[in-house]
Amino acid sequence: MTWLTPLVAAVAAAIAVPSLIILYFLKLRRREVEVSTTLLWKKAVQDLQANAPFQRLRRNILLLLQLLVLAAALVAVGQPELEGQTPRGLQHVILIDRSASMSSLDGEGGVSRLDAAKREAVRLVDSLRGESLIGSDRADEAMVIAFDQTAEVRQQFTGDKGALRAAINAIEPTAAPSSLDEAVRLARAHLPDQTLVEETGAVTVEGLKTRGVAIHLFSDGRLPDAQRVLTGVEDKVRFTRFGTPDAANVAVIAFRAERTYDNPTELTVFIGLQSTDRVERRAELELVIDGVVERIRPVTLPPATTDAPTLEDGTPPPPDLWRPGTASVVFRLERAEGGLFAVRLLPGDGADVLEVDNRAWLVVPPARQLSVALVTEGSLFLVSALQGLPLAKLVEYTPDEYLAASRRGETGAYDAVVLDAWLPPPGDRPTMPPGRYLVLGAVPPPPLGAGDLGPGEPGVLIDWRRDHPALRGLVLDNVVISTTRNVEFGPESAVTVIAESDRGPAILDIASADLRAVVVTFNPADSYWPFYVSFPVFIAQALNYLGQDPSHLGLDARSVRPGSVLTDRLPQGAGGVAIRLPDRTEVSLTPAADGRIVYGPVRQAGVHEVTWSGERTPADLEAGGRALRPFAASLLDPEESDVGAASTLSLAGDDVAALDPSRSNVNRRLWPWLLLAALGVMMLEWFVYNRKVQI
Amino acid sequence: MLRTENPKRPASLDELLDSRLISRVSRLDVTSRKMFSGKLKGERRSKKRGESVEFADHRPYVVGDDLRHIDWNIFGRLDRLFLKLFLEEEDLCLHVVVDCSASHDCGQPNKFFFMQQAAMALGYVGLINYNRVAMTAIGVQPGQHPPTEPQTPPAGIVSAVRDLRGRRRTHELAGWLCSLRPEGGSSFGEAAKRIALSRRGKGVMVVMSDFFFKEGYETGLRLLMGRGYDVFCLQVLSPQELEPDLAGDLRLRDVEDADAAEITVSAPLLKRYKANLAAYCDQLRTFCARRDITLLTVRSDTPIDVLLLDYMRRRGVLR
Repeated sequence: MTWLTPLVAAVAAAIAVPSLIILYFLKLRRREVEVSTTLLWKKAVQDLQANAPFQRLRRNILLLLQLLVLAAALVAVGQPELEGQTPRGLQHVILIDRSASMSSLDGEGGVSRLDAAKREAVRLVDSLRGESLIGSDRADEAMVIAFDQTAEVRQQFTGDKGALRAAINAIEPTAAPSSLDEAVRLARAHLPDQTLVEETGAVTVEGLKTRGVAIHLFSDGRLPDAQRVLTGVEDKVRFTRFGTPDAANVAVIAFRAERTYDNPTELTVFIGLQSTDRVERRAELELVIDGVVERIRPVTLPPATTDAPTLEDGTPPPPDLWRPGTASVVFRLERAEGGLFAVRLLPGDGADVLEVDNRAWLVVPPARQLSVALVTEGSLFLVSALQGLPLAKLVEYTPDEYLAASRRGETGAYDAVVLDAWLPPPGDRPTMPPGRYLVLGAVPPPPLGAGDLGPGEPGVLIDWRRDHPALRGLVLDNVVISTTRNVEFGPESAVTVIAESDRGPAILDIASADLRAVVVTFNPADSYWPFYVSFPVFIAQALNYLGQDPSHLGLDARSVRPGSVLTDRLPQGAGGVAIRLPDRTEVSLTPAADGRIVYGPVRQAGVHEVTWSGERTPADLEAGGRALRPFAASLLDPEESDVGAASTLSLAGDDVAALDPSRSNVNRRLWPWLLLAALGVMMLEWFVYNRKVQI
Repeated sequence: MLRTENPKRPASLDELLDSRLISRVSRLDVTSRKMFSGKLKGERRSKKRGESVEFADHRPYVVGDDLRHIDWNIFGRLDRLFLKLFLEEEDLCLHVVVDCSASHDCGQPNKFFFMQQAAMALGYVGLINYNRVAMTAIGVQPGQHPPTEPQTPPAGIVSAVRDLRGRRRTHELAGWLCSLRPEGGSSFGEAAKRIALSRRGKGVMVVMSDFFFKEGYETGLRLLMGRGYDVFCLQVLSPQELEPDLAGDLRLRDVEDADAAEITVSAPLLKRYKANLAAYCDQLRTFCARRDITLLTVRSDTPIDVLLLDYMRRRGVLR
């Protein structure tokens, strides 16, 4: 029990109680009337007093009742509170996890974890200290942040409980994974600067944050980045856990499709599955292509396992030590055309608390081969290497022919252009025209390219990035170059060196908004490279890398994770752009000048359809006269699908034990009840008084 | 109960006794359950043998008898002297005692005015039937001192008229009644003693009062009875005394002795008051019954003709 304004109550009591008693000592001012005789009246009064066994008490019952009323009111003035665990006198930050796992329906009565969290958060808001009735105490202030992978301030610091409640109740679940770090950083960034009160007056110190906030985290504790969260030394972190630790959930955690390089019509679909159930689960997996169920396969999900030994008394190890069981399924399809692939896991008769991770979507582009233009004066190695590739189209130009075709606008149809020791004139641009180029034996000029300082000494390739798509799996240490080229570029340029000789950069990757090029600075004809198998493989991989523009090509290009931002580039002149969300609501988007659109962060799992009117690329669909480009948003997060609620939250600073919502008691104000009691006693007093005087 | 504001003070006979009432009470007469010896020859049959026209008996003459009463016819026939005895007819004394203390100047209708009217009506009945009518106003008037001169009325008595007889004394009686003012306190015991000592004949005594005497009514009534009066008590209470209409926190002041009582009117208090009043009246009635006193308790709003023609006839005061 704490008292917020005990001094005020004491002063009020010191004044009011003696005043009331003095009032009783005062003689009643009676109306004087003359009567024929007082004989009978006096006797009646005497009789009455003599007959009342508790006449003293009876005479004073009104005083007693009035003292009771006064006492209740005075105690209310003192503003007593039953103390819960909510810290006092701090600023409160309410962090509500709205990530996918919070949609798990394992709360009491089948409510989702998020709904339970919101209810608990509203309880917390209710228990915050309001503006003091009397005295100068300020109300507790709180801030509401909803977070999944990104954090969002739903309500700034305020003492307005209505606004806080509204902000909490407006939080909707998302299908995104969770990240606590950003939420805490955001909260600390919004803390008001501390005000130092000195003799000269109040000084607001920038960056000196108010000391100590109470961070109330309402989550299930599935926060992979909690270890990175650094809270202030004086911050109090309170973690209220929702959900059960051993909640059973089956989920799709991976969904990919790949085409083999030599036979693009053969499509392999990989699906990863996970189960947190402690028994083996049998489920069914549906593969749906363009809305039609293509395959159904029964799957067996192994049980979750743990290395920790079972305790002596038979209790299983704590839930944090269990690893979910995983399984994978592979579908092989003969399918040249693309489509919207969806996979659905039917969990069978076992428990499954989270629905959103039972489905995943994938936009699979049609199988296609590259169209490549080769601009050369005649290079035997290049022509032979390109002719050996499974290309859709290979056209050989001389530089002059290429320039003529470019002027006719025919070169835009090629996915990539191979330039053999020649660069197109820049025209009115400072560097090369937009496009995708594999440049051999030439260096595009700055600013996008690099400065060509002329031929250099003979050299050997000594280092290359083996993870670069163009150089993946290549062995280049036997490439001897007779004439290297000296190049230079600034640190701000778009150039990445992906292979180096002992004389300097040898292979560059240039990437900008409208230009992508892989540049071999030396001429391969001046080296041993064409004699090695790595040369045609490099040509193939480089063309594949260049042709795989993520804006309209590639298997993963149309996938977006909930919580991240969807970006894409539409053809120039696209108008009336809108995105239709999985819940069928439509949001209109305004593309940038170069056709780039941004939407997000994506909140829902499912197919997001971007539609526009105007030109469309061959990869886009058409619906109702408008171009349509689907994007698949799927959770596919093993960490988020492992829905067992954590019992502790390990932050960078310390470990925070979880509180169960049922046991996390909040401060309870008593003064409204006291005032109610005062009112009740006052009514009783009125009743007693009326009983006394009623004739 | 409360002192009457602007009480009606009668100035003449007409205001005390209207002609309709006169015609109704003219047939009445005062009766007594006892037979008394009167002072004057009257219209009332006496126990005594006397000089009326009604024959009663003969008895032998003894020396000293009035020779005028000898029955000469018997002497002629029997040669013996017999006295012829006749029934004696005597007058009856009607003594009306009116309590004149301030407590009677209360109530609505005013208790004192009611008593004035009742006394006048009774007196009128007495006068027209050739009864000797006496009236005494009792009370202790303010400024009244112990009697030093013979003409000053004794203590406890305000004034008195006596020996009125016959219809023509009606106005005199009315004038006396109209001159009374209900003021001051009362000393019933003292007054009763004085009345008893005055030995103004025997007869019917009607005591009109509320009988709220703080010193008690017992002594006074005992004294009055001791003198052989056929006492009839008329207790007059105002409707407000029977059903008080008070409310709130009050300081009650006794109009006679300025005694104060502080009360907070409440349901139990009123209940207790009514119980006390009933007990008081019951006590008075028991006291009277034991002493052969007729008690009649009336409200001050009772019509005078009802009082005389109904209540008092039934109790044998009038016939």
